[in-house]
Amino acid sequence: MPPHRTALMPVVAALALCTRPAEAHIVSSRLGDFYAGAAHPLTGLQDVVLWIALGVLAGTQPAARARWLVAVFPAGLVAGFLLGLAGGMTSGVAALDAGCMVTLGGLIAMVVRLSAPALAAIAFAIGLVRGAANAGGVGHDTNATLFAAGFATAGYVAITLLPAVILTFRRSGVGWRDVALRAGGSWIAAIGIMAGGYALAGR
Amino acid sequence: MRCLIWLLLAIIAALAPAAAHEPSLGVLEFREVRAGSYVGGWTLEPTIGGDRVQLRFPSQCSYRPPSLECGVQGLAGRVTVDNLGANMSAVLIRIVPIGGEPRSYTVTTASPVVSILGTGAPAWQTWAEVASTYVNIGIDHILLGIDHLLFVLGLIWIVQGGWRLAKTITAFTVGHSASLAAAAYGIVAVPERPLNACIALSIVFIGVEIVNLQRGKIGLTARHPWAIALGFGLVHGIGFASALSALGIERSLLFPALLSFNVGVEVGQLAFVLLVLALIWGHRRLGAVLHCGGRVVPGYLIGTVAAFWFIGRVARMIAV
Repeated sequence: MPPHRTALMPVVAALALCTRPAEAHIVSSRLGDFYAGAAHPLTGLQDVVLWIALGVLAGTQPAARARWLVAVFPAGLVAGFLLGLAGGMTSGVAALDAGCMVTLGGLIAMVVRLSAPALAAIAFAIGLVRGAANAGGVGHDTNATLFAAGFATAGYVAITLLPAVILTFRRSGVGWRDVALRAGGSWIAAIGIMAGGYALAGR
Repeated sequence: MRCLIWLLLAIIAALAPAAAHEPSLGVLEFREVRAGSYVGGWTLEPTIGGDRVQLRFPSQCSYRPPSLECGVQGLAGRVTVDNLGANMSAVLIRIVPIGGEPRSYTVTTASPVVSILGTGAPAWQTWAEVASTYVNIGIDHILLGIDHLLFVLGLIWIVQGGWRLAKTITAFTVGHSASLAAAAYGIVAVPERPLNACIALSIVFIGVEIVNLQRGKIGLTARHPWAIALGFGLVHGIGFASALSALGIERSLLFPALLSFNVGVEVGQLAFVLLVLALIWGHRRLGAVLHCGGRVVPGYLIGTVAAFWFIGRVARMIAV
């Protein structure tokens, strides 16, 4: 196969993944739609891995850059949720998730220093993708506004606490802690590659 | 600092209905007419409609409304009430045997199965059943009670943490536990609608105190937070009791129900306080702090939302 066609293979694979529909997870609404929205991200590996990855990435940046995510990430989640409700981004979510995991994992593993706008843009983009995917969890009898409020609150809590914990973890300056974080980043990237592989195999 | 927490809570509060979080309740009653034969059904139909709720009785029982035939074993075993829905907090099942004391059981969306015990069943089993159910109801009640949570958040804002906060939250707990017990045993009785208006007013007061504090005026709450927490805790506790009394638990089981409900409320309240403290720590660690005039915004937000509730509750009070 000519070299330029080989180079196109990952792009073709990613585009092939883009037709996979978003999956819905209906969470028990024992405590109503607000708490159902808050708990919904815990029902999927994509949210758990990506939110943790974003939190770790923010925690490896200076606090002055990470703090913007407290507002930007929930805003991205809400924007993505609205987009999802409107019918946008119903396909391609699995590929985007896998790509985001690989990207975030790589950035953590390589200890890349990002500017505040770049970090905010990444957080908003991930919020957009995950918000759209979680809109699939809204049932016919769900109050979408309360669900979105719970969902955004969960995002706010996660993106406030995770970077703060990582910053505290790194503060002591002990070398092995940075190594552990880099190793964690490589695991996240590996999970992303596997998720992409499973999505491709599942087609 | 912490303005984002306030902003989020205020948005959620504004989204929540202005009504107090009264539990939606259904009551099922069965009277034994002869040994093993019962007659009954919904005496208080749930808002979603009795037909939508799925009832499953022990295998020896056959239910053709209004007749419930259970044979020689009687109505003993697991009863499941499914499809309660998000708006149905609880169903009270009341069994009236021919020659014995009536028994009440409560099932909820969280705990939809209950074991109906025969007349000779050991008491501890009944207590364990009641404890399991009412701890869950207590947790649900505080987590869905945005007005109670806003009040606690206001106290945290004013007191700022440390031992003073521990004492203040303890005083609130003591206050609402005492009045909850008093109201549940009928020592104190306050009509629900004026009470809910008072609860909203207590939050308005806290909002005003926050604004005063940010402007450098040391108010009563900042000076003696435990006293305010204790006083308003008494008011909020009667509100908790109204939720408990709405479930209609029989008097012989009132103590374990009350204790379990209070434990559930404390568990939920503690979880909320710890979450808020963790978020405050997170904001400080990240330096995500709003300065200048922004510090009075939370007080205005909480005051506005609570005033909205107060006006709505007073309007409903007058309309009746």
